Amino acid sequence: MNRNWLFVLIAGVLEIFWVSGLKHADNSLEWIVTITAIATSFCLLTYASKSLPVGTLYAVFTGIGTAGTVLAEMVVFGEPFNMYKIIFIATLLCGVVGLKILSSSKETTEMEVKGG
Amino acid sequence: MTWLALIAAGGFEVVGVLNVKRLGEKQKNALYYMIFCFGLSFLLLSYAMTEIPMGMAYDIWTGIGTIGSALLGMLLFSEPKDWKRLACIGVILFSAVGLKLVA
Repeated sequence: MNRNWLFVLIAGVLEIFWVSGLKHADNSLEWIVTITAIATSFCLLTYASKSLPVGTLYAVFTGIGTAGTVLAEMVVFGEPFNMYKIIFIATLLCGVVGLKILSSSKETTEMEVKGG
Repeated sequence: MTWLALIAAGGFEVVGVLNVKRLGEKQKNALYYMIFCFGLSFLLLSYAMTEIPMGMAYDIWTGIGTIGSALLGMLLFSEPKDWKRLACIGVILFSAVGLKLVA
């Protein structure tokens, strides 16, 4: 995997933590972790924005954050499971993977990535 | 008033995202603009949520941010206008909106 995409994925995963933190943090240590996660995820985004289109980047970042937060609420914080949520998470992942495939086929024109 | 705040929150989010890009290009002051815009955007969003239901407010906010940054990316930074790319962004947006509405 290309390094910029890896950074966007890590930024998205950190977003899950800081969104949960904003909602559930209740002591200073948890707030410090939350704020560090916010800062780190934006640093990674900034770095990745040098080589990835900012529209793509932001869609993927918000997408991972939203899907992950809904999953975290279900798995960690005991929100009820719902089939529709799972379906939307699946379609969202299709969008993210699609963007990834489109951008990697552009970066490696000589190798012509097939399928997808 | 809360609707106006929500739309403004979306607008500041887009400007914040543009500053993420400018910061990547090492432009001066982009960091301060970015922090200011996202900060203001979150404040306005949380104010909007006092009257507008949370799921709906979040959806509109994400929608403005995602569509806005894709559009401005194409207009200002001449990013690819490939329809497949736009379709994928659309799918992500549709799913994010759907997730918040059923959650």
